[in-house]
Amino acid sequence: MTFDLTILAPHIPFLVKGAVLTAEACVLALAGSLCIGTVVAALVTSASPLLSRIAYVYVDLFRNIPFIVQLFFFFYGLPEIGIYIDAFTTGVIALSIAGGAFTSDVIRSGILSIDPGILEAAEVSGLSKPTIFRKIVMPIALRTSVRPLGSVFVNLILTSSILSTITLNELTGSAKIVASDTFRPFEIYAVLLVAYACLTYLVSLAIGALHRYLNRDQTEAA
Amino acid sequence: MRYTAFTSYDIVLLAQGLGVSLALFLATTIIGLFIGSLWAVIRFYRIPVLAQIVAVVAEVLKNSPVLVQLFLVFFGLPAFAKINVTPVEAAVITLSGNTAAFVYVIAVSAIESIGRDQIEAARVFGLSRWQILRRIIAPQAMAFAIGPLTGLLVNQLQVTSLISVIGVVDLTKIGNILNLRTLKPFIVWAVVGGLYYVMAKLVAFGGARLEKRLRAHTAWKGL
Repeated sequence: MTFDLTILAPHIPFLVKGAVLTAEACVLALAGSLCIGTVVAALVTSASPLLSRIAYVYVDLFRNIPFIVQLFFFFYGLPEIGIYIDAFTTGVIALSIAGGAFTSDVIRSGILSIDPGILEAAEVSGLSKPTIFRKIVMPIALRTSVRPLGSVFVNLILTSSILSTITLNELTGSAKIVASDTFRPFEIYAVLLVAYACLTYLVSLAIGALHRYLNRDQTEAA
Repeated sequence: MRYTAFTSYDIVLLAQGLGVSLALFLATTIIGLFIGSLWAVIRFYRIPVLAQIVAVVAEVLKNSPVLVQLFLVFFGLPAFAKINVTPVEAAVITLSGNTAAFVYVIAVSAIESIGRDQIEAARVFGLSRWQILRRIIAPQAMAFAIGPLTGLLVNQLQVTSLISVIGVVDLTKIGNILNLRTLKPFIVWAVVGGLYYVMAKLVAFGGARLEKRLRAHTAWKGL
């Protein structure tokens, strides 16, 4: 019953490589889920009942089905219909789609919290609908939802550990390899636990600072 | 020679996996609710060292992947403390702890949502701290917490799918087995996903019903 961290020292470069892969997947998935989330949020809040219905079904489905099931669906399903892509791309696509459902919910509530007076003023000024959406609605909605978006991002980082189940050696995957190399699973997973906790804590600190910076004019007024 | 067609026995397999997932979900929810509320009570009484430990543990559990927690318990504990942990035990320990961490956060904010003036009034009436907690805070905090709790439980239901990775034969594992045998991923995973979806909807529905009942006294009854 010894807790000896020094045996992990030679494996640090390998773990860092895994961490870089995790970071890459998370950043790409963040970009992807922001794109999907924005489009879906626009559809949900649109005036067309059909489009908002479709978008709602998408969000509902992907929020209520476990990510691992979605991941297996894509990982085993895509080759079946003749699309051969590697595990990394599959993982990023699955993460983006799942993250998009959560992101769209956050952005939707950001859009709905906009004062109707602002939209009326924009309409009266003669701006077209796409212009209103791009220049008025989105900047306000994104700015006020930075903090909730941050917690979606933190969740995305934690969810990315599931990518290790489709043979992708990101941080958790490489830790698994190190654990079976050294026969010291307790140390490695304990370190990994703390590492993830620190990483997500730093991310949420950064998001909080960004949120305060972007909304500085409003907090002063309040 | 492999048999790739679906058989009627597959339905039995799916039902079995569904039962395992549901049983583990219910068990870990009950244990997690109990431990999480216990932690919140520890914080309410401001027990010196214990309260800080609980806060740190909850923070770490909330901010790390469930998969890593599972590996720590399932692979780490036997190697470190020389105790044998079966996959089901590891799943129960991890999921309960994880649920408890989130319940703790919800319970703390629910307790804090009750105005100080009520607690002061109760103290003036000579109620003990335990009586205040039991008679004044708990009923109101329950009504406040039920919404977030429902959201949490829907989430925890999906987290149970991760235990298939350490070899518990739950719904996801059954999906994996059927997928490898039949090589029809679209059908298999769509069915498994559909079952999870229905379960999540049932949990959300139950939570909404319960919330309505607990909030009945504050509902608008008309003039």
